[in-house]
Amino acid sequence: MSEANALNLLLFLPVIGGALLLLLPERRPDLVRGLSMLVLTAQLALAAWLYVQFEAGVSGLQFETRVPWIATWGVHYHIGLDGLNLLLVLLTAFLGPLVVAGAFTSITRDVKLFHGMVLFLQFTMLGTFLAQDLFLFYVFWEAMLIPMFLIIGIWGGERRIYATLKFFLYTAFGSILMLAAVVYLAFTVLSQDGSPSFAIADLHLLELAVPVQVLLLTGFALSFAIKVPMVPLHTWLPDAHVEAPTAGSVILAGVLLKMGTYGFLKLGFPLFPDAAQLATPLIMTLAVVSILYGAGLALVQDDIKKIIAYSSVSHLGYVMLGLVSYNLLGVQGAVIQMVSHGLVAGGLFLMVGMIYERCHSRDLAAYGGLAKLLPVYSVFFMLLTLAAIGLPTTSGFTGEFLVLLGAFDAAWPLFEQGRTYPLALASAAVLGIVLGALYMLRLVRRLLFGDARVPEAGGAELRDLNLREMSILAALVAAIFYIGLFPNDFLQKTEQAVIEYQERVLPARVEEGGP
Amino acid sequence: MMAEGLLLAALPEHLLLLGILTLLVIDLVSSRARDPFLPALLTVLLAAAAAGWLAWAGHVAAPFPGHFSVGPQAFTAKAVLLVLTVPVLLLGREERLDSRFAMLLLASLYGAFLMLSADSLIMLFFGIEVLSLPLYALVVLAYRRPQSAEAAMKYLVLGGVGTAILLMGISLTLGATGGLGVDDFQQALAGDDFMSRGAVVLVVVAFMLKAAIVPFHTWAPDAYEAATIPVTAFMATIVKAAVLLALVRLFGGAEAGPALVAVLVVLPLLSIVWGNLAAMRQPGFRRLIAYSSIAHAGYLFLVLLGAPEGRFETVTFYVIVYGLTNVLALACLPAGQDWLRDRLVGLKGLYHRDPRAAILIAVAMLSLAGIPPFPGFVAKFLVFRTVMEAGFVAVAVVGLIASYLGIYLYLRVIQYMFMTPSPAHPATRPTGGFAATAGVLAFMAVLVAGVFPGWILGWL
Repeated sequence: MSEANALNLLLFLPVIGGALLLLLPERRPDLVRGLSMLVLTAQLALAAWLYVQFEAGVSGLQFETRVPWIATWGVHYHIGLDGLNLLLVLLTAFLGPLVVAGAFTSITRDVKLFHGMVLFLQFTMLGTFLAQDLFLFYVFWEAMLIPMFLIIGIWGGERRIYATLKFFLYTAFGSILMLAAVVYLAFTVLSQDGSPSFAIADLHLLELAVPVQVLLLTGFALSFAIKVPMVPLHTWLPDAHVEAPTAGSVILAGVLLKMGTYGFLKLGFPLFPDAAQLATPLIMTLAVVSILYGAGLALVQDDIKKIIAYSSVSHLGYVMLGLVSYNLLGVQGAVIQMVSHGLVAGGLFLMVGMIYERCHSRDLAAYGGLAKLLPVYSVFFMLLTLAAIGLPTTSGFTGEFLVLLGAFDAAWPLFEQGRTYPLALASAAVLGIVLGALYMLRLVRRLLFGDARVPEAGGAELRDLNLREMSILAALVAAIFYIGLFPNDFLQKTEQAVIEYQERVLPARVEEGGP
Repeated sequence: MMAEGLLLAALPEHLLLLGILTLLVIDLVSSRARDPFLPALLTVLLAAAAAGWLAWAGHVAAPFPGHFSVGPQAFTAKAVLLVLTVPVLLLGREERLDSRFAMLLLASLYGAFLMLSADSLIMLFFGIEVLSLPLYALVVLAYRRPQSAEAAMKYLVLGGVGTAILLMGISLTLGATGGLGVDDFQQALAGDDFMSRGAVVLVVVAFMLKAAIVPFHTWAPDAYEAATIPVTAFMATIVKAAVLLALVRLFGGAEAGPALVAVLVVLPLLSIVWGNLAAMRQPGFRRLIAYSSIAHAGYLFLVLLGAPEGRFETVTFYVIVYGLTNVLALACLPAGQDWLRDRLVGLKGLYHRDPRAAILIAVAMLSLAGIPPFPGFVAKFLVFRTVMEAGFVAVAVVGLIASYLGIYLYLRVIQYMFMTPSPAHPATRPTGGFAATAGVLAFMAVLVAGVFPGWILGWL
């Protein structure tokens, strides 16, 4: 097997798995679960192998495949790994088996359709990360909505239909404007280069007037900002998270939200660098508002899922803050923070799902003293909380610390020139860490400590985590501490791509011998 | 030589005529009603093979100079219409429609073919009439409810108005240019005197009426609802395709003049907006398809703003995809009493009764909504790229945003099928064998068009 085909296999494994799934009978859910688990575990193994084989410090794509798809339009099936998508691909493959394992007991209706949709999602998410052709990217980006729409709408909670329609229509609106921008880029390439192309690398070479760039960036940015989500475009998120089944929430928080930040990193800022610089103060402001406002909202929720949903808004604010610092520390921090948030929020949603399966309530007021009732559960919850707060040795610390370092690094020279606003924003972002500790510790205090009580669980005895659940959480915790303790390997493999991103968006600062 | 040329150039037409006559003779000599399915299917397949072969061979001929000429584009368009007819015939067999259905269908197709080869406005007019007259009869064929007659009447009257408008446009063309050829019309397109403008606007409006563009759309929902499913499928796919392809041929290499541009911008955009909005409130599946077809006609008319070279490719690809998706949706509709199966609420919980049908309808809906990876997306992309390339950037953006309005109505169908519980006593049964075959054929074609749109685009 040539190396490039390994990446193709990684992408198409879920499709193969889905085709095999069709052959299985509906009345054998155990086989369906087993097959999905097998496929996704194989995918994870392959992703890990690709990660190890990925060479650090090399510019450009690795494991690249490029074949014509719609030849007359210059559209190619073009995928490859670079430092920007490497970690996100690994994260997606890592969460896949955990999601399926977590749904063993919670999904009992339409099991085949559910696993088909999870595999479909896995395919489209990996496709979005791997695509190096704008058309292909858009196809995967938009196709991703379909399985998520069904997952929330079929297996969700009481208001699932409202939530899923809101999710779909919200994100589709952003996509429509992005599509307008994509179409515009398509014929601009044709008129400037004489031959049609959608290769992202070719689009980098386009010469676009600044006003055009601003309009195009608006189209892309709206779509990405909805997905991130950035305040004030975040209102779909709590509904979608609360109503989604556990698996949906985990994928949503773990991977889907990163699509937005990845979009900015891969397309939004590098394609339209001049517009990006103009928009930087606005995006920075919105990022800090997201950090603080998300944290503030998380502080006053009584629904456990909503707390974690709003904490996602806050944590992804850091990612955006890191991306617009345009320096090595900040952007690398943002990438690490994306992965870290995927693990931490994914884990927390899984844990909420586990307690919901036992007690059928997400109301924080109904719980208390779980530390006495479910000691193992409480230990894992505590560990994930610490990572969410960003305690040193966890992945959360690595990510947020680097982001803040990067933000200050970018703001300080401006402060010396007499512009205090960026520095004020960076300082305000620090406050977010304090708020983060507040809302997470409030959650832990009310959930784990105090008088022991749980909502009526229908007479069933409350049992602690079983081996399956412990293995899922142990895998997550191990990954969180691995990134927290040994981030170096991750940082090295992303470094080259981040430097190129930085040179692309802020050539001036690099020439001045900046950071 | 002349006769030989005519034989080859109009081979698909001859085969259709042969089929119609065969059906007629069978009907006359046979004492009991015979199933017209096989002769009709054979006719369509033979004609499709003939048209496909002539298109592939690049046959060019003008057996009646100035009135009737053919070339690869005309043959391709005919082959497309014939291929789309195959699943419609299967649907007709499912409903056990008699030979009247098959004969009228083939006759209507004959009219479409005349339009697609017309070199003069007289021939075009003749083609439109031959296309439309059988349609009025086809709508009333399902005479099961009083509304059918009412709808057919409405269709007939408005169709008559369309005919009158077209004739008025033709006579103005004669007045403005002194000729009745298609080239004279193209000359009028470029002219900016009052009479030329009037001529082209009237002709285009007549086509808009046939394709159901707002505000000339009012007949469509009633006619679509009154007709049986196969006839609805025929109107939504083949008739719409024929009208648009004929219009592309009529425009040829000419650009629209300023007066026409205004019409071609405003009315299609209105159609997209109103079609999508009104479709949201429809309780019946066929009315929903009707309003969605009004919106899709809007996208198709926008293509006429584009550069002449790209129009044929864009429109053909769009009508292939749109036709297949519509047939797919209508074919998978669960069987049952005609008005019961049409109710959207009847689709509730369909996934648990007939998962295959539910998934296929969902694919059709997502394709109509223009969501990738389904081919409706590529078609939509192609349309808006054509429009933007011609410099109408704002029109394209408004059109895209208007197309967003449509997403909800298609999602609602999926929501009914997958997310709402089934009624205790569903009034419908799973689809029968012929309709299922049509559905599977259309689905496979949709899949190919979605995964390898390049093949179809390269072949056009």
